[in-house]
Amino acid sequence: MAFNRREFVKLTGATAGLATLGLPLVSRAKGSVSIVVIGGGYGGATAAKYCRAYMPDAKVTLIEKNKYYYSCPFSNEVLGGESKIEDVRFGYDGIASHGIDVVIDEVTGVDPAAKSVATKGGKNVSYDYLVVSPGVSFKNNIEGYDEAAMEKMPHAWKAGPQTTLLRKQLEEMEDGGVVMLVAPPNPFRCPPGPYERASQIAHYLKHHKPKSKLIIMDSKDKFSKQGLFMEGWKANYDGIIEWRKAADDGKVVGVDANEGILRTEFEEHKPAVANVIPAQTAGALASAIGLTNESGWCPVDQRTFESSIIKDVYVIGDSCIAGKMPKSGYAANSQGKVAAAAIAAKVGGYDMPDPSYVNTCYSLITPDWGISVAAVYQYTPEGIVGVKGAGGLSPMGAPESTRKAEAMYARSWFRNITTDLFG
Amino acid sequence: MHHKLSRILAASVLGSALLSGATTASADATGAMVSNPCAGCHGIEGASQGQAPVIAGLSQMYLASTMKAYRDGQRYATIMDRIAKGYTDAQIDAMSGHFANIGWPTNNQTVDADQAAKGQKLHTSSGCAGCHGATGVSMMPNAPRLAGQYAGFLEQQMHDYKDAAKAIPPGAMVMRSMLAAMSDEDIAALAAFYASQK
Ligand SMILES: Cc1cc2nc3c(=O)[nH]c(=O)nc-3n(C[C@H](O)[C@H](O)[C@H](O)COP(=O)(O)OP(=O)(O)OC[C@H]3O[C@@H](n4cnc5c(N)ncnc54)[C@H](O)[C@@H]3O)c2cc1C
Ligand code: HEC
Ligand code: HEC
Repeated sequence: MAFNRREFVKLTGATAGLATLGLPLVSRAKGSVSIVVIGGGYGGATAAKYCRAYMPDAKVTLIEKNKYYYSCPFSNEVLGGESKIEDVRFGYDGIASHGIDVVIDEVTGVDPAAKSVATKGGKNVSYDYLVVSPGVSFKNNIEGYDEAAMEKMPHAWKAGPQTTLLRKQLEEMEDGGVVMLVAPPNPFRCPPGPYERASQIAHYLKHHKPKSKLIIMDSKDKFSKQGLFMEGWKANYDGIIEWRKAADDGKVVGVDANEGILRTEFEEHKPAVANVIPAQTAGALASAIGLTNESGWCPVDQRTFESSIIKDVYVIGDSCIAGKMPKSGYAANSQGKVAAAAIAAKVGGYDMPDPSYVNTCYSLITPDWGISVAAVYQYTPEGIVGVKGAGGLSPMGAPESTRKAEAMYARSWFRNITTDLFG
Repeated sequence: MHHKLSRILAASVLGSALLSGATTASADATGAMVSNPCAGCHGIEGASQGQAPVIAGLSQMYLASTMKAYRDGQRYATIMDRIAKGYTDAQIDAMSGHFANIGWPTNNQTVDADQAAKGQKLHTSSGCAGCHGATGVSMMPNAPRLAGQYAGFLEQQMHDYKDAAKAIPPGAMVMRSMLAAMSDEDIAALAAFYASQK
């Protein structure tokens, strides 16, 4: 075609834009509706961008405590050595370029009566609609695993300096050292994540520390994509990865970080490197605001993601209870779009079209061996459920060409979804 | 993505004028709502930046028929079969309309010039141009655009067409025999040629 993208936009922008956007655009006097989004991760970045797209005249503010976002997806590949930490680092210039106010500051509280958000830096930002996507916080399910212990036995379950620390420990470990990965109890963000991580660390060990091995200490007796992981481990990491389930005394109950000790019910272990992933609950901010129930997570109207507890506050991503959807980046991204559409419908005074959600979690067992779990979801009066017959796992016993293609598409996914978030 | 959001934003002038009739947009709105989650894998508004295929700007007919083929087990896939099973005919038609209405995006892929030249020769000498046009821009609504599509995806598809063990739609059967004699290198060269076209 002769047009480049930009010219094409100029020539046909108006009509094509309307047709493709689909949702009725909501226009009001400039700045008369104020939407504040807390948390610039998978959920929040999406919500801010789609609110802006649906309501071009609204004032959209994104408040995020860190200058850079480090993506958990593909941070396991940093541990494996295939990616660098810079590959999972994103700034907020792209988001700001769409006319979204990006405020780098930590939210300390929300006053739902005054509809106002307070920050550590002393700002008060008022909102008509608030979107909250603060991710997860850690629970104290492992005795002795406190903030200081995290610096010795990194969790790396929030990417960034923790990822770099764990990578450094792996690099500095002597060949022959044992790595222990402590996998968390359900529910936690990214159900296949610990097992992808085990694969990635094993990939590094196989090529750089061939006498070493990795033991997964699990507080569960089964895990996501188990058959596919086991098949991939047997083919690629036989004798390198060992999985110790809860029933086999795999559950770690305490640590002595200074001594480098992990304690189970019956034994003590002293691995060369310990990666301890604790149990999880909604982001601390969500509970501070009062958005959580007794489960520790945030109940929402699963059609709109509006909190069941506080009006005009929407909770998305890991923190919310989203029916059958897992806690994943793709899920948070889908939810951000639905919440934005729900707010636009409310502001515009029309009925929101039926929401639709997708989740897929790719895992790389080696750089050429990808597997996935996928689902399409719909809203029913019982909440969000998977569409029957759709989704599921990559097939067992698939040829290596299929595994390789999935690995290619996994990288493609990362490229596309992070552009959706930060581009 | 910048200009894509601004394209959406550019519509606001017209959008506000039409707002009074907002609910008339509900068919489109359904298309947009079901299409939104595709972006995670296919890029914003179908304009993929990775090796997953661009789906913006393909014909409505092709989009609908291939989604149904994935859904009904007639087209081999690594993942689209599992995804497509989540949608009804009506939803597939709405999404197909949605993506068909968006212009084909320009991608910049780096390809080996020698390979692309070899691929161009093969494209012409093997008779692919008959259906896919001289540069991979087909004139037939049922044959998808190859020009500017991602090389990794195209290569994958040609291998699937070639492999008699894999399900492919009836319309692709002619390519099974055409590709049978081709080597992996030939297929890579064809993919490089298509990827090099804009
Ligand atoms: C190792 C690993 C691998 C993973 N791989 C995948 C994968 O392949 N695919 C997938 O789909 N998912 C994956 N996930 C899961 C994914 O990372 C999460 O589900 C996703 O990030 C959830 O998005 P969120 O918006 O809820 O939280 P986050 O993305 O964590 O974003 C929360 C943001 O809120 C900010 N914040 C929190 N509190 C405040 C406050 N008080 N003030 C201001 N800002 C605040 C934080 O700084 C953060 O930027 C993986 C997770 C891990 C740990
Ligand atoms: C998890 C990633 C993922 C999601 C989600 C996804 N796709 Fe795909 N899509 C792919 C991949 C990968 C392929 C290549 C075929 C394969 O191996 O599955 C593909 C192929 C296609 C094709 C064929 C393109 C061509 O040129 O022949 C169409 C059309 C398509 N997808 C449409 C959609 C639509 C519409 C949605 C949203 C409902 C969607 N896809 C969601 C990954 C995805
Ligand atoms: C008789 C017409 C015809 C000829 C000749 C033909 N194709 Fe096709 N091609 C099609 C049709 C129709 C499809 C879509 C098939 C489907 O529905 O899945 C297609 C699809 C493809 C695709 C997949 C693109 C995508 O986006 O999914 C590739 C790659 C391709 N053709 C390459 C070739 C090559 C290479 C040749 C020559 C060796 C060739 N074709 C010859 C009709 C043709």
